[in-house]
Amino acid sequence: MSRGLALAAAVLLAAGGCAGSGGGTGGPIVVGSVNALSGSATFPEASQAAKAVFDAANASGGVNGRQIEYKAIDDKGDPAAAAAAAREVVSGDDAVALVGSSSLIECEINAKYYEQQKILSVQGIGVDPACFNSPNIAPVNVGPFHDMTLTLLYGSEVLKLNDICALLEIAGNTLPSYQAAIDEWSKITGKKLKYVDATVPYGGSDYTSYIVKARAAGCKAITVNPVEPDSIGQLKAAQAQGWNDVTWLLLTSVYSENFAKAISNAGAGVYVPAEFYPFTDAASPQTKDWRELMTKNKIPLTSFSQGGYLAAKYFLDVLKGMKGDITRETVTKALREMKPITDPMVGTPYAFGNGRTHHDNTAGWPIKLASGTNRWALAADDWLRIPKK
Amino acid sequence: MLQGALAGLAAGGLYAVLAVCLTLMSRLVRVVNFAQAAIGMAGTYVAVFLAVHIGLPVWLATVVGILLGGVLSALLGWVVSTWLAEADTGTRSAVTVAVLLLLISLSFILFGNKPQPFHPVLAGPAFELGGVVISQVTVVTVALAVLVALACRTVLTRTPVGIQLRALSERPTTAELLGIPAKRLSVAVWAGTGVVSTLAVSIVAPSQSNDATSLAMLVVPAAAAALLGGFRRLDLAVVGGLVLGMAQGAVAQSDSLSVIRYFLPFGVIVALLLWTQRKEVWDAAR
Repeated sequence: MSRGLALAAAVLLAAGGCAGSGGGTGGPIVVGSVNALSGSATFPEASQAAKAVFDAANASGGVNGRQIEYKAIDDKGDPAAAAAAAREVVSGDDAVALVGSSSLIECEINAKYYEQQKILSVQGIGVDPACFNSPNIAPVNVGPFHDMTLTLLYGSEVLKLNDICALLEIAGNTLPSYQAAIDEWSKITGKKLKYVDATVPYGGSDYTSYIVKARAAGCKAITVNPVEPDSIGQLKAAQAQGWNDVTWLLLTSVYSENFAKAISNAGAGVYVPAEFYPFTDAASPQTKDWRELMTKNKIPLTSFSQGGYLAAKYFLDVLKGMKGDITRETVTKALREMKPITDPMVGTPYAFGNGRTHHDNTAGWPIKLASGTNRWALAADDWLRIPKK
Repeated sequence: MLQGALAGLAAGGLYAVLAVCLTLMSRLVRVVNFAQAAIGMAGTYVAVFLAVHIGLPVWLATVVGILLGGVLSALLGWVVSTWLAEADTGTRSAVTVAVLLLLISLSFILFGNKPQPFHPVLAGPAFELGGVVISQVTVVTVALAVLVALACRTVLTRTPVGIQLRALSERPTTAELLGIPAKRLSVAVWAGTGVVSTLAVSIVAPSQSNDATSLAMLVVPAAAAALLGGFRRLDLAVVGGLVLGMAQGAVAQSDSLSVIRYFLPFGVIVALLLWTQRKEVWDAAR
């Protein structure tokens, strides 16, 4: 009797083991993502945009007759929840790939797990350094580090500014990555920053003393890697000090309608290399398809929804080009071997590829916010690129 | 260093105003109000909502927000003085922690977690001192702190209402038996501090980071400042707030010290607690 039980158990286990290799033939193709949907900083738009792309594909017959089932899981901005979310969607739901994830911590927490599970993530918005240092994660966005190099390049080479200072808000282990981004700019231009202050706090209430320090040091321009509320605080502090001739070289993290509305006095101007073609340029043909889909689905027009949309679109292209069965293994192989895809919303073609790391999007579109306008405007008519070594 | 210290005055003025409110609450209604800054935040957020989405003029929206802060605070005061009239200070204060968390969560639910487009009531520099521009906000907050402290002191020592309030805080039951309207007075104190802290936050919020969490957590440095006066003395609370703000501004000027800037309030709290307990005997202090 017990032998019979053991045999039955063995058969069951074996069957379970066979089933766990990611999406067989027939049923829906499960695609997952891990996102900051709740918590102190949220950007739900990326996964909403990816879902809109997949819904549209499903409505027109799916991929090879199979529907795409998209599961966007919340990481709550919490490491334990981020780990659980990845396991739920990768092991529990047997996803074939992750697409359009956007989170502050997810890469750091889950990169190794994705390697173990042999699953790839076409990240919608990569933020932390781990998103750009893993063989299994390839974000579609430029990322804050290349963005920092770009914003410095624009300041020193296009605006011809000297005496640039950096105020860095460091959370976790990001300092070496920002330092590398600044070093890259130094290597390209042969210029040095006047000073770097890496002690600026996240969510500080009053930034006056940092602004006073920068002004006293003779900075003509300041580059920061801020979150939106902090940046507003820094600009207001400069305004209260009557410091109106300082140029701000910021990152895509402040590129929003909200920020433009909140800032009336932007000193000598706020400049940002937008990671995707500027969404505030409403009449542009580059963003037309994306804009229509977002408007139809009532998804906010932000950089995040551009990232999620592009991730899903690239992924669909790869899926549609696949011959034979769609499983985690075959999808991984197809992504590794894909041909670069170009899109007018980005300056660098996207390919997942076989690299040990993926940090290949190196073009931003310069935009500016001038005092008194409360609107973002284009500051260039082409992509600004980090020169190839 | 001096420049940094002067730059920290704006923050110091705000800490001082909030510290005065905290001290008043602790003295008169036996509560350490952890939601002091959060009530101010809630009032200001509603004001911004009214200005941006309903289209009220900024000054009118601000006034409505300030009144709302007073009402919110009064409501909380009414709850505490109705159901926790005889409870000890710790229990009464614990209620305000719940309110602090509630208000932060509520603001996320109602207004989202994106920064609000505040329109400054005051903006720009007032005058220059030692190479540092003193902003209008700094002047107003520091003046407000001093004024509120002086006004409260005058009320408490020179008016019948003040005498009743003091009686109430010293011997609540006795005062009530003498016919002093305890609940009404308590609620009035709550409403007053609500109005003052919302006013202070309304002035400062447009000129600094103004997400719900950082505004609500201003109560920590304010508590450190109030502790200097032992939650009893208004003048020391003002001094504590200004000194703490200036100290934070000063240490931000040097790279090696800058890291400790945001731990300063906690450091001050610990140091003051150790100092005030220095003569206590183990068994008696427990």
